[in-house]
Amino acid sequence: MSALASEMGRHRGSRSGLGLLAAALVAAPVVVGIAYSVLGALGVVGPGADGISLRHILAVLANSATWRGLLWTLWIALASTLAATILAMTAAAVFRAERGVDRFARVVAVLPLAVPHVVAALCGLLVLSQSGLLARLAFAANLQVSPADMPALTHDRYGVGLILSLTWKEFPFLALIAFSVIARAGAAMEETARSLGAGALQTFQVAVLPNLWRGLLPSMTAVFAFVAGNFEAAALLAPSSPLALPLLTMERFTDSALSVRPEAFALVLLGMAVSLCGVAAHEWAAHKAEA
Amino acid sequence: MWRGDPSINAYVDRWVAPRLLRHYGITLRTIDGQGPAIVNQLVVEREARARGSADLVWLNGETFNNLRKESLLYGPWAHRLPAAKYVDSLSTIIMRDFEQPTNGFESPWGRVQFTLIYDSARLPAPPRTVAGLRDWIRDNPGRFTHDQQFTGTTFLKSVLYAENGGAQSFQGGFSKKAYDRGSRRLWAWLEGVHPYFWRRGATYPAGVADLHRLFANGEVDFTMSYNENEVITKVRQGVLPATSRALVLRDGSIANTHFVGIPYNSPNPAGAMVVANFLLSAEAQLEKLRPEVWADGTVLDVRKLPPEAARRFGAIDADPRGVPRDTLRRYEVPEVAPEYTERIARDWKARIRANTK
Amino acid sequence: MNASRSLPRVGLAVVVVAATLLPLAFLVALSLGSEWFYPGLLPRQWTGANWDLLGRGGTKMAGSLWMSVALAVGTGVISSIGGLFAGREIARLDGSRRRIGVALAFLPVVVPPLALSIGLQYSLLRLGFGGRFAGVLFAHIVPALGYTTLFFTGIFAVFDWRVEDEARSLGASARDVILRVMLPLLHRPLVEAFALGFLVSWAQVPSTLLIGQGLVNTLPLELMSYVSAGQDNLAATAGLILTIPPLALLGAAGLAVRRLRVVVP
Repeated sequence: MSALASEMGRHRGSRSGLGLLAAALVAAPVVVGIAYSVLGALGVVGPGADGISLRHILAVLANSATWRGLLWTLWIALASTLAATILAMTAAAVFRAERGVDRFARVVAVLPLAVPHVVAALCGLLVLSQSGLLARLAFAANLQVSPADMPALTHDRYGVGLILSLTWKEFPFLALIAFSVIARAGAAMEETARSLGAGALQTFQVAVLPNLWRGLLPSMTAVFAFVAGNFEAAALLAPSSPLALPLLTMERFTDSALSVRPEAFALVLLGMAVSLCGVAAHEWAAHKAEA
Repeated sequence: MWRGDPSINAYVDRWVAPRLLRHYGITLRTIDGQGPAIVNQLVVEREARARGSADLVWLNGETFNNLRKESLLYGPWAHRLPAAKYVDSLSTIIMRDFEQPTNGFESPWGRVQFTLIYDSARLPAPPRTVAGLRDWIRDNPGRFTHDQQFTGTTFLKSVLYAENGGAQSFQGGFSKKAYDRGSRRLWAWLEGVHPYFWRRGATYPAGVADLHRLFANGEVDFTMSYNENEVITKVRQGVLPATSRALVLRDGSIANTHFVGIPYNSPNPAGAMVVANFLLSAEAQLEKLRPEVWADGTVLDVRKLPPEAARRFGAIDADPRGVPRDTLRRYEVPEVAPEYTERIARDWKARIRANTK
Repeated sequence: MNASRSLPRVGLAVVVVAATLLPLAFLVALSLGSEWFYPGLLPRQWTGANWDLLGRGGTKMAGSLWMSVALAVGTGVISSIGGLFAGREIARLDGSRRRIGVALAFLPVVVPPLALSIGLQYSLLRLGFGGRFAGVLFAHIVPALGYTTLFFTGIFAVFDWRVEDEARSLGASARDVILRVMLPLLHRPLVEAFALGFLVSWAQVPSTLLIGQGLVNTLPLELMSYVSAGQDNLAATAGLILTIPPLALLGAAGLAVRRLRVVVP
């Protein structure tokens, strides 16, 4: 409290040192974690450390399972982020009114925000598996006879069940942001566009969409990064081959052969790199948008 | 200990723990963890010079082997337990853990045998040999699979034995030649059937619980367990349908013992030994054997016990869902060196799991 | 604008409501049943046993629930206050320094929890925090602080600093400025930040697993243990319990649609 008090009355911009220090403190544990992982991947520290060497990293890069896992994880993250974004934009565009059906829909849409990812994945597993709720409803409606008739949506090659579960879970977050953006942007631009004679679709494209997009971009990046690194949902719904990156990482980290541990650290670095690339891409896109 | 089974949890938390408190003043806290996670944890703790988080660990086989290799176990101590004199020391299944002598570094707790589980309502006449199973799988595509963890590996080992004239081919320590020769036949068997597995072998359930779920919901017609009596406890828990039955493969049912060990950095080894001794007591072993509790086999030699206790062991009713004791004994085969298990698990992942279309 | 009762709109609303609520209803049914096999649309037996938290078999779920609450409350309090200070300072930066500050604050948010936990495990264990509440709390605060810092950076980016200056120039003491000017203005964001930190900790899995060493048991861990044991009914119960506090928080903190500030990078 006294630190806050002593800063009162100072002007903005003259305490830049403190700002960077604060940010550095927030990021410090992550930096420590990255440093340890780097040392571990090089074989310097950790169980299975056997002297500095690049061979563990090279072994991971040379293993096709690494790339298949990485590409698969990227696919899942991209697909669920885009799906959730499109749905969020649609919901924000449609449910615009302050009261009534729109408000009710907005409130309900946000509810799954409270559901943890692992619970969402559990729901996905139990609803979408070949003997799950969907299958039983189909059975009751005489649409199919046995579980094998249902399409395989869980533990499947394209991760459909995983994508659906993650989309279900991420949609409320993006929708919340989208609703807020729409509410703040206000009707002004839209009315201007309409008064100039633009049709509904054009109005949306010119007056609403850019705002939505700009407002959602940071959150989309966050969702992408989060989904790509999420362990629990993949553990419940992903197939055994190709093995998603977080699962592959955990498998290496808990392998009974300790000599394999440095490979786990290399995979950890790969996972971090994916998320960081996502953020870098966002920075680049935001920079371009402002230019 | 592995906390994935409520029956086991109930036995440990609500029968063993209160008695430990009452008779010895020991408070027992159980921590979730098993196998490679335990090895990992102890290794990390040693590297970080952190304090030990466990006094007693539940283990066998590869875990024991890995912990011994890394000198992560306290001991020897098990032969000093008063109750050790009642253990069935003539049984090689009990005195050797995956062919390795325990040397007092772990104390036996229970013994189990591998069985398949089928639904007698859906499948009145199941195949009873590995060869018969292969034919059945080919005739019933998509109705069989196995899990990726310990139970599934035990199934693969059963096939390995069957395809190579029995466990004798692999006894006497690990032999690379024997492994290469034997595994070739195993992969050939698998490559012949896995296109007929559930989902055409493109994916496998992660653990045996997922396999149980598939079985209970009718997606496959078999599940399996390394505990011959799991079918009884799982039916009681409502996880498996009431008409499930256990089945012993005529080619051999792998039997193994599970143990308790003390980590090198246990804060309270003396207390741990008291617990291990209690677990070996006739009272505790009897309770554990009951079908309503855990239905886990005893490691005691009933003949060495006082007559009253011995009588109570004999009086336990056999549940019709399980397999009669003499059938189990007739087909029991021992585990072999842990390196076989590790190699099979690793090579399966590389050869079979990774190459699915 | 369009009539809010038009058919496509109502239809879409129904779809949203159904897609949101059906899976949750399914969980409720699962938590109250046993012996529910395909193709049954309802469990063969109904039972309240799974919800018997204090009775036989339920004590472990209750214990993990309280542990989760303790960790989440601790994380919420510490990360909201820390985020307030950090976000405020970063918002005061200009130009490229601010970009760096925000990028640094982004790190704990963007790095996957599994990766972060594997990286931090050794240090925390070495410092003696392995398997302890304090260690897991720290591991939860790391990402939570990132979220709250970014949140407050956004708040302070649009904050009118003149209020503070004017209060001072009118002769208010430093203490008064805080208590009577800043706190009332910031009290809503503080509550929202607490909710944010709480939720981050509440749903954590890998960090609790790897730092807790099995000694710190939270409800999400308990749930995963039920799932991997095939105990779907208990898993559904745990899942529903896991959903209740966040739901309550969402309502109480009034994360009403119109009030949320968008984080401005």
